[in-house]
Amino acid sequence: MTPRKKALILPALGRAWLALVLVFLYAPILVMAAMSFNASPFYQLPFEFSTRWYQDMAGNAQILAASLRSVGIAVATTVIATALGTAASVGLFRYDFPGKRFLQVMLFPPIAIPWLIIGTAMLVFFFAIGIGRGTPAVLIGHVALALPYVIVTVTARLSSFDVTLEEAARSLGADGWTVLRRVTIPWIAPGIVAGALFAFAVSFDQFVVSYFLAKPGDSTLPVLIYTAIRKGFTPEINAISTIIIALSMGIMFLAARKARFGGGR
Amino acid sequence: MKSILTLTTALALTASGALADEIRVLNWQGYGTDLDWSLKAFEEATGHSVVHEYFNSEQEMLTKLRTNPGAYDVVMINAAFTPQAIAEGLVAPIDTSTIGNYADIPASFAEDPKLNVDGKVYGVPWTWGLTSFAINTEAWDEVPTSVQVLWDPAHAGRISIRDDAIEAMQLGALATGQDINDIEDLDAVEAKLAELLPNLRTFWSSENDWNQFMAAGELDAATYWSGSASRSAAMGLPVQFVVPEEGAVGWLDGLSIPATSEHQEAARAFIDWMIDPEFYVKWDAEGAPASANAKAMEALPDDAFNKAVLGDPEVVARVHFQAPIDDETREKYLEIWQRLKAAQ
Amino acid sequence: MAELATPADKRRLATLLSPAYLWLTLAVFLPLSAMLFFSFVTDLPQDAPDWAFTLENYGKFLENPVYGKLLWKSLKLAATVTLFCILIGYPCALVLARVIKGRAREVLFLLVILPFWSNSLVRIFSWAIVLRGNGILERTLEAILPWDIRLNLMFTTNAVVIGLVHSYLPYVILTSYLALQAIDDDIIDAARSMGAGKLTILRRLLLPLSLPGLLAGAVLVFVPVVGSFMEPRILGGRVGTYFGTVIEDQFVAVYNWPLGAALSFVLLAVVLLIFALTSPILRKAQT
Repeated sequence: MTPRKKALILPALGRAWLALVLVFLYAPILVMAAMSFNASPFYQLPFEFSTRWYQDMAGNAQILAASLRSVGIAVATTVIATALGTAASVGLFRYDFPGKRFLQVMLFPPIAIPWLIIGTAMLVFFFAIGIGRGTPAVLIGHVALALPYVIVTVTARLSSFDVTLEEAARSLGADGWTVLRRVTIPWIAPGIVAGALFAFAVSFDQFVVSYFLAKPGDSTLPVLIYTAIRKGFTPEINAISTIIIALSMGIMFLAARKARFGGGR
Repeated sequence: MKSILTLTTALALTASGALADEIRVLNWQGYGTDLDWSLKAFEEATGHSVVHEYFNSEQEMLTKLRTNPGAYDVVMINAAFTPQAIAEGLVAPIDTSTIGNYADIPASFAEDPKLNVDGKVYGVPWTWGLTSFAINTEAWDEVPTSVQVLWDPAHAGRISIRDDAIEAMQLGALATGQDINDIEDLDAVEAKLAELLPNLRTFWSSENDWNQFMAAGELDAATYWSGSASRSAAMGLPVQFVVPEEGAVGWLDGLSIPATSEHQEAARAFIDWMIDPEFYVKWDAEGAPASANAKAMEALPDDAFNKAVLGDPEVVARVHFQAPIDDETREKYLEIWQRLKAAQ
Repeated sequence: MAELATPADKRRLATLLSPAYLWLTLAVFLPLSAMLFFSFVTDLPQDAPDWAFTLENYGKFLENPVYGKLLWKSLKLAATVTLFCILIGYPCALVLARVIKGRAREVLFLLVILPFWSNSLVRIFSWAIVLRGNGILERTLEAILPWDIRLNLMFTTNAVVIGLVHSYLPYVILTSYLALQAIDDDIIDAARSMGAGKLTILRRLLLPLSLPGLLAGAVLVFVPVVGSFMEPRILGGRVGTYFGTVIEDQFVAVYNWPLGAALSFVLLAVVLLIFALTSPILRKAQT
């Protein structure tokens, strides 16, 4: 075999591998979507086309309320976590001060500690101080989990920021906040968008923490799905999941093309 | 004058508010209280709407009551667990004078000491039935007569039981010929269950679970509740409930009102609705356990499973009713059960 | 980067940092401290006025071999899942970062990370439908292959591993890809011009340079899997009892929060210990 042919075989193998992995990643998602159109309530085969689960779902107040609540919490989480996280990243980037390293390290517990532990700890603590379970508790928890992701993404973008730009603006007479608003923030905007997307995803798919903090009757969609899986999963759940996956993938595709965090070269 | 008018309007508004409460019911999924047609009729009759929350073990039910004060208005409690709920102050005494159908519950249920403390009623008897096992009729040539078939190697990997320490231990007690309420030889039960576990396909945790496994043809036999079995059969699954010669575990389910409920009046109206003969006869047609209301049982057609089988004295003689379980015993059971599962 | 020169700077820094860190304190650090406290008491103070401090909760972990056994089982599961994620994901990231170029790369990269935005529980449940006896996988294979197939994958440890690898694979691909993509093309070209073969470049250049990314991915997989309870319950059936499921039970069913807290801290300690043991390797990889 000539070296040239060999050089072609490796990338081809690699591409095939990548294709296989994509099949592995998407097969269950496609199955899930297909089953939302299957008539059998017990997921029995053979497949028989029906849209009854979409009709049922449209009339299921519990699923709709949980979906709305999940979206609401995710949006609120995104707004709060992005604002607080961006401010913190700018502060951490701009200034040198004692204890900075410590503050940076403290961002990792929410990522590195198993969610099961954080979730139960929040439950215990919120009970002790009287917040209890419910939507406020869920929101507090989600923002805390999303913050580190925002800070890490925005900081990554900031590290490519040229500080002389700020100095130039300042020398032209702009004050601190104007510099921040007109120079710094526009530069790190792609980082902020990526951070916001992560925050949304963390909150919207967050199950463990919501599971412990959501109040009965006020559950979020992932919690509703978990209880349904254990206590009575009907294809209605497939239907709502299919809609949500289609929607979120569409939004992601648009947002990601704007933010280009694939790092296209 | 004007202020009086405002006051009466305000009172009328609050009163109508109280008339249209949203009550939250805590129960097993798919167990009688959450039937669509019944809830619709109930809302039309009383104005109260009903929201459900489910549990999948009695332990989880108790913890939900403990950690969510004010969240529930009606809770379904297996009478064996009612004394614990009463002792922890989780349920309130019920004023039965406003529950019209209560008078039709025979004394043997209504005066059950598990539901009554110091002359106060803490649980309204609702249904009763058996815990035994049910078979997939397509997998058996003839209906087995002994619980030992769950251990039969011929059905290895095609058996399921519920992931519940108490139910598992009582099954082990039946299979080793012991008293389910006072297991003397725990080691024998543990050894017996250790033999059973490798035979299992999986644990089931809800009726829906059970139905899906049966529908997929994954199971030959699985422990089950009598009411649920008739419901599965009514849904068209090839299922038959078995009361083996070793006997079956009998249970009584009651409806209680959590101490922290803010809609006790609506809760009582719902409990009354649940023990009403008219509701029960319709429910039984879809598959239900036996009603605790004697008039409701009389109203059943003669060929109904609950009348025909549970009314058969020979079957009734084989029923061992569950007694309350104290904390110490429960912890012992849980420890044994955890050890058994961890060994898998 | 500026030193804190003036009081105005200090004020500005405080305004920028304090909201985020106060939030983290309220939602993460204080709860963890409360949890630590609860792990040393006999009963929850709000339930029992006669609560007392005790070491018994940790004693139970040491006394009862069941807990140790399950912890070991969870660690083994996490190691297995992490290993598979690396073996499957790293080559993927490599192909994505070094073979595929331009627009196609952007699209493929998006496709790899998109499942993050679908519900992880639903993905796990979909595996249940795929793997179950007489389910989609068996039927598909039966249609393709001439002989009878009885895989019996559902409710086995393998099913749990498959579901978890599927859930966490994108993390490894994502972090490895970002690290691989940041490697300067010039270094590779230089090595090639000096006659280095593809495998040499991979072993001596790409792998060491992207190791921090790979390890970060491994951590992101290992940590949640050690504490997982939902996936084993759904896919593991009879063999699905793990350390995470026992902790979950203490909180939602058994109502023994002190024991649950103690078990959580044992898990946390083990995770931190593993980090401590592997951090020299991490640091070495970075230099």
